[in-house]
Amino acid sequence: MPAEVRSEVITYGEKSAQLISVRHGEAAIGTCFAGYTGIGGTGAVTRLFFIGGEPISVVICPNNDNKQSNKLISIAPAFKNYDQKIYNVLGNSIKRINAGESLANGLRDIMGLLEDGVYTVYAADYYPTDGAGSFFWGAYNIPHEVQGTAEKNRFIGTKSFKPCFLVPSQPLEYFTKKMKTVSDESSKRREIQGIAYHLSGFHSVLLKGHHGAVSCLENDIPFRCAVIEKVCEPYVETLLPPPPPAPAAEAAEGEAEVAETAQPVQAAQEAPVFVPEGITGFRSPSLKVPIELFPKEMLKLVLEGRPEYKPKQFASLIAKINVSRKKTVSNNILPLAVLEKADQLPDYEMVESAYAVNSLSDEQLNCLLAGDVECKGEVIISPNFYQSIVTACNFLQFTDTKRFVDFTIAVMENPELSATHEYVAKRALTQLSSKKLYKFFTDAVASGDAQYEKIVNFANTFISRYKETS
Amino acid sequence: MAFHDLQPVSVNDSKNGKTYIIGNVFAVYNAGPEPPVVYTWDMVKQVSVGRREIKIDAGRASYSFTNKHFRDVDDNIRAIAIIECKYKEFGFNYQHERRMFPLKSLYNECSPGKEVYVGEAVLDEGETAAAFIALLNFKLMKFLWLVAILIMLITIGILHLNIGITRSNVLYFIPISAAAGGITALLVYIITHAVARGLFKRLCETDISARHPITFVISRSGFAACASCVYESRDLIPWSEMDYFIESDKMFIFYKNNSPAAYIPKKAFEKKTVSSIADIIALSLEQR
Repeated sequence: MPAEVRSEVITYGEKSAQLISVRHGEAAIGTCFAGYTGIGGTGAVTRLFFIGGEPISVVICPNNDNKQSNKLISIAPAFKNYDQKIYNVLGNSIKRINAGESLANGLRDIMGLLEDGVYTVYAADYYPTDGAGSFFWGAYNIPHEVQGTAEKNRFIGTKSFKPCFLVPSQPLEYFTKKMKTVSDESSKRREIQGIAYHLSGFHSVLLKGHHGAVSCLENDIPFRCAVIEKVCEPYVETLLPPPPPAPAAEAAEGEAEVAETAQPVQAAQEAPVFVPEGITGFRSPSLKVPIELFPKEMLKLVLEGRPEYKPKQFASLIAKINVSRKKTVSNNILPLAVLEKADQLPDYEMVESAYAVNSLSDEQLNCLLAGDVECKGEVIISPNFYQSIVTACNFLQFTDTKRFVDFTIAVMENPELSATHEYVAKRALTQLSSKKLYKFFTDAVASGDAQYEKIVNFANTFISRYKETS
Repeated sequence: MAFHDLQPVSVNDSKNGKTYIIGNVFAVYNAGPEPPVVYTWDMVKQVSVGRREIKIDAGRASYSFTNKHFRDVDDNIRAIAIIECKYKEFGFNYQHERRMFPLKSLYNECSPGKEVYVGEAVLDEGETAAAFIALLNFKLMKFLWLVAILIMLITIGILHLNIGITRSNVLYFIPISAAAGGITALLVYIITHAVARGLFKRLCETDISARHPITFVISRSGFAACASCVYESRDLIPWSEMDYFIESDKMFIFYKNNSPAAYIPKKAFEKKTVSSIADIIALSLEQR
């Protein structure tokens, strides 16, 4: 039975989102449960991201598949090559999107290859890294904990966020200079450089555009991807009680008035928070869709579907998990500039802080510098002071470099905040163009003051790198 | 993560116009055009699966539907399997009738290994009842002997009090009292058998999968005895979940907490494999 792909735009407030439903999908691209790392149903849960009959990425979910735990991700050692049909579909889709077709139309053929369910598609800029400063295409050779891959983030909470880091769907051996020369040219013309399928947390698998990612990073072109996310995670939003009604008539002057108006306000404050019956809706990382906004058929598909399916080729995928591929060593080396630029891109901690914190005023920063976690009786970021400084530092680095430099210098100048000096100095290493930081580090090294003991090594590194770059 | 690919079940109660969906979430469509109320399983407080009805307490509401509302028995079996898997995951209060086969919450997803025996059969009521009664005999035998001897002694006592034992009649009294003891023991045996058969039939009625094809798997990693319509090839109950087993001529019966947890008929497997299966079971569980 051919796949039924339907798209619909939903509007909520001033925003709109594209929903695409897939029924009778081929389930040729997706994730599936692949057993446990231990014996007899013990150990960490293992998942596979697969394309056709090939296992692509092995995702180990520790702590009994806890959604707040980061995953261990690696390229599946058994990977051989894509099914030619799927490869062609991916190539055609990116051509169609860049030829001016809408995302829904351009991705239609890919959607037919997915598991049944409701998806949202959008275009977004991606950092082609693993979220920790390594270029994504070579960062997953060994299974390791990847920061930002937890489905639920304690700092961001229930807010929506856009995944922005990548996991490759090919081993690094597939990088060739010849292909890169072609992509150097094509990346200049393209608006959408790649197609990404959301995997977990802040990470998506790049289905198409690996060479494009190399070219874009090298040539400072934003790596914009068409992103596919499955909308299947239930969410609950607690509704606060409505604001108290305004007094109908003006009351008498004096204390009596205060007492009368205070009563309804107090009653409203003490009123229990209204919790709606059941869940509010279903979400993907970047989109929350309340139940009432779902088109009827799409909602039925979500309710009668599963987050993951067991594909037809499940047995062969499982059998391939522990098979090693023959070609494991390659002479193809990524350009050094790409690796260096990847290190300069925002990392997971910065992005997480940017989503966790709405804004930070100078007054709030001054409170933090004075050693307070509260400003005007409200917790600024977190009751934990170290966490507050770290998050503030990351937030500023992501949003406002100038304020970041001022804040880091202020932190490092304050001997009472010495617990955070090392972290802040390490963060400051990325700002190699800052004269202020250069001056501060030079003075700190020259002074030989004991308060700078923890940052001397970072200061020396910064000074030498600054001199090299300038 | 066992049974993780079960297709959600839709249950339609035409009387009140409600449709329930039991799957990754529990959803209730009320009559009318309004959107459904959807609960995640951590919002579910209690589920009770009765003989004829399933009752789910979720959020601030309580919902119930009968077995008749399911499209077919496979849907009913699948809905119970989903509920039991969610019970394992979310730990809500779960009440159920006695079962012929283990709950799905006992299963784990794991590789069955190389030595694995798979068979399928519908439980034969006569055979299973016979095994059930054999088990009963196993427990009753000492009691029946005791009853026979007691009745024999009482009969002798009564005869002695009423007639008086003399040399001439003692030879008549002994067989009479022995016969009285034997007949009483036989009556007790017949009554308990009738009760046992009744209990077994009731058990069959409470477990809807009892009269449907069951997949039986025996491997070194564990075993499975599960309705074929929901079974997935890698779901097994570890041997550590069971305490001991009893072998009758037609069945292996696994025990947990001194009550039978699974009936594995030998006829489900090929004849030539039964001895190997018995070896695996004997290596994994204590035989009584």
